[in-house]
Amino acid sequence: MSKFKEAEAFLPDEAEWELLPFRFERLNGRVLVTNMAGEHLLLGADEFDRLAHKQLPVDSSLVRRLRAKHVIRRPGDHAPTTLLTLKTRTRYKRLAHSTGLHIFVVSLRCEHSCPYCQVSRQSRDTDRYDMSLETAERGLDMVFRSPSPAIKIEFQGGEPLLNFGLIEEVVQRAKRRNREHQRNLGFVIATNLALLSDEVLDFCARHDIYISTSLDGPADLHNKNRPRPGRDSWEKAVEGIRRVREALGVDHVSALMTTTRASLDRVREIVDCYLEQGLGGIFLRPLSPYGFAVKTKSYSAYDAERWMDFYREGLAYILELNRQGVEMTEYLSSVILKKMLTNREPGYVDLTSPAGIGIGAIVYNYDGAVFASDEGRMLAEMGDDTFRLGHLATDSYEDIMTSEALLAPLEESFAPSAPMCSDCAFEPFCGSDPVYHYATSGDFVGRKPESDFCRRNTAIFKHLLDLYENDPFARSVFLGWAGR
Amino acid sequence: MIALRGRSAAFSVDEPLGRAVWMIADRRSPAPRRQGMAFLVEGDAEPPGGFDLYLVKDVERAPEGKPWIALPPLLQHLSAGDVISASETGEHLRVLWRHRSPMNSVLLTERCDHYCLMCSQPPKEREDDWLLDNARELIRLLPRSTPGIGFTGGEPTIYGDRLIELLGLCRNLLPHAGVHVLSNGRRFADFGFASSWAAVRNPRMMVGIPLYGAEPTLHDYVVQAAGAFDETVRGIVNLGEVRQRIEIRVVVHKQTAPALPEIAEFIARNLPFVEQVALMGLEMIGFARANMDDVWIDPTEYGAELNEAVSLLARRRIKTMIYNHQLCLIDRELWPFTVRSISDWKNEYHPECVECSVRDRCGGFFFSAKYKVSDKIKAIPADEAALQPALLDI
Amino acid sequence: MTAEVEFDAASHSVDAIQRAAYRFSDRFSVELSTGGDVHRCLLTAVGDTDVDALVPDFRTEVLDQVLRERIRAETEPIRTMILAHAFSRTGVVDQQGLS
Repeated sequence: MSKFKEAEAFLPDEAEWELLPFRFERLNGRVLVTNMAGEHLLLGADEFDRLAHKQLPVDSSLVRRLRAKHVIRRPGDHAPTTLLTLKTRTRYKRLAHSTGLHIFVVSLRCEHSCPYCQVSRQSRDTDRYDMSLETAERGLDMVFRSPSPAIKIEFQGGEPLLNFGLIEEVVQRAKRRNREHQRNLGFVIATNLALLSDEVLDFCARHDIYISTSLDGPADLHNKNRPRPGRDSWEKAVEGIRRVREALGVDHVSALMTTTRASLDRVREIVDCYLEQGLGGIFLRPLSPYGFAVKTKSYSAYDAERWMDFYREGLAYILELNRQGVEMTEYLSSVILKKMLTNREPGYVDLTSPAGIGIGAIVYNYDGAVFASDEGRMLAEMGDDTFRLGHLATDSYEDIMTSEALLAPLEESFAPSAPMCSDCAFEPFCGSDPVYHYATSGDFVGRKPESDFCRRNTAIFKHLLDLYENDPFARSVFLGWAGR
Repeated sequence: MIALRGRSAAFSVDEPLGRAVWMIADRRSPAPRRQGMAFLVEGDAEPPGGFDLYLVKDVERAPEGKPWIALPPLLQHLSAGDVISASETGEHLRVLWRHRSPMNSVLLTERCDHYCLMCSQPPKEREDDWLLDNARELIRLLPRSTPGIGFTGGEPTIYGDRLIELLGLCRNLLPHAGVHVLSNGRRFADFGFASSWAAVRNPRMMVGIPLYGAEPTLHDYVVQAAGAFDETVRGIVNLGEVRQRIEIRVVVHKQTAPALPEIAEFIARNLPFVEQVALMGLEMIGFARANMDDVWIDPTEYGAELNEAVSLLARRRIKTMIYNHQLCLIDRELWPFTVRSISDWKNEYHPECVECSVRDRCGGFFFSAKYKVSDKIKAIPADEAALQPALLDI
Repeated sequence: MTAEVEFDAASHSVDAIQRAAYRFSDRFSVELSTGGDVHRCLLTAVGDTDVDALVPDFRTEVLDQVLRERIRAETEPIRTMILAHAFSRTGVVDQQGLS
């Protein structure tokens, strides 16, 4: 007399399935499938064949997995397309909010002489390489033309504290202008901290300014990378970090490492160094092939395979620390995991598609020239103006943001239309880097089979997926990083 | 178990009562308010005049010449501030509101377009609009300071615009009340209805919608309605579009437990805009009893799935709560997610609980647990209870 | 070092072969010629790649590209629709539900 129907009553009558857009890659006998929103699942080779040829029954655990992950649907199911639309929209939301990061290169002067430096240094004594107030004001005009509701102004150099007076002016003028525009406005100074003074700290405290600095690892490693008169770059950095934490707050200072050949065998020491300085996480960065790095041949020493070992060991160590109750984050993985495990786009300019040049971040050089990125500016220093978008004195916001110099690389490097990328199952986790590819191969798209960018990213994706699927503890840590 | 309805053995109502819903007053209630109030006679003093209805605990004290109802033994717990409904003759009484209860749920209808395997309020097809009318009267009687009110069914949205009106009334008369409405969510697939809902403009209002699968076959089976999943999900999306507060509820039982991680992943990835997710233990009444073989599972058997589900949600910053699970049956790491959620009138305890050091933090059992309970219930000794929650606590 | 691989023209499009060839372009180049029923591929090693050893992988990749082509074709309309809705300025759901 039961009015309840069995489970079978709720199965479809026929095995009529529609494919939803998906991509696949074969990985060690299994097949990775990613849907349009970048959600992944791993199938056995047989399971994949059944999917590929739509030889699927009305119901099975495979069918349920595929339906839940929006890889297949029944004709007449509305929810899958509604949800894919929602997820896609979320992923691309940031496009309406260009440009979030505005970099002001306030001075090219610097008292360090780091071999890999992307910034061409000039000596300390001349004022020819400082940004003028007039230029800075024009830069601010550009800043507030951006539609983004959240704006970050970052001061870089050389060593920006050598032109601290201008930083003070820009901060105050920006805040004044913001009374009208009402954006969520933030400031960062990227400094080596050697010139940190109480006056600077005081100003930063009053205006809620964040500090970003360089910390390559233990003293000998850091100082070797960063020669300065006095040979105390590390000591200054560490002391500076301590002072900033105490004056501005623990979350107001972050550090970026640069990897050189000398770093590759010492990842645990480097992580320990970050831990000792009270930093909550580290970004395991590859060395980029720009600026002085190319000139002094330190890039040629760089070995992609060794860097992967460095990264894997560093990540393993950080997971081990987490197991011991230390909440340390690896930021490169964290950016990628956000793309893998949520619909959010973290907006890390080197790993987005469309590329982050111009629309994610833009650079105003000390002399008023406008560049699509840090690296684009470096190329100009080496004589290649490809990524020069214009000049603050002569070009309007429209001129710059719709210039061929910006639109061509954006369009050509757009991954979903690039060869190999358009078919790649990892594409949702990846990005375009037209500047990198231009610098290494001569065009904005590059040849992905030969691209270290591609190889490295693919290796990272596979590694993270492997851990996510097979290591429950790593999975829980990764979910936490993705959710931040 | 606190009784919520009863039959009066003795009553004297000469003319049909002019109203169904009455708030109980006593000596301490403010004198001028009389409309809709029923005076509760206690003690020896002469009851004041001017009330349209008197309630007595002791028949001897029934007032002469006035309409009165003697409270049956099971309803002797009633006190001033509670609200009852009485049948026209006064014979049948229902408790609509217990002012001492932290959360009262108001039943709006027993009609439903679903037929869930484990439904604790099995649907009835008869027209019961009078429940909606009673709810309206109840809202008019409640004090302005009422902190919270719940609306349940059956499926409340069958009333369509009349439900919206009721919620509007609730917002206007009870401006401080958190309002929690339970619904299967399907009607919100009609964007017009979702918009009307949003137009109530009550920031304290939230809808609780159940989801029992990450894809149609499981969910539709559990709720016994083809096409339910697709419509419910679209309803949830519409509510999200109009920025309404949503709770997703997952009742964990034999059918849903194996799919719990998939359901959690589905919510985290497709419905991350919801305010919270409630993972709920089974209440062994109504259809759950009839379908015990298909729904009963010892909670210790789905510990891994529960852990995984919480991790998948909470780590991605979706507020996750575990309801109706005894602390001794789940991992220590999950204790921070538990909520003491069993309505007080259903609360009971097991003999094993007498010695338990965390009994006060535990939700206890539904009264219906007498029909089926895990044999793994075990008192937690004091030294174990002191263990810190682990890393999962965010 | 070179190797020759043939594909039935009816079931393997030029596009699929080219896409597969692209993926291997760091290891060998592919010269494609079509005559009648078959597409003929001449694989020429880049550097000292062992081209013969890679032939099975190349074949698998061509088959996968044929599959990708079919998936693309089949899902193109729905992909376009989803993108159009995602980038439109109205609400996600066209108020009657997407179909």
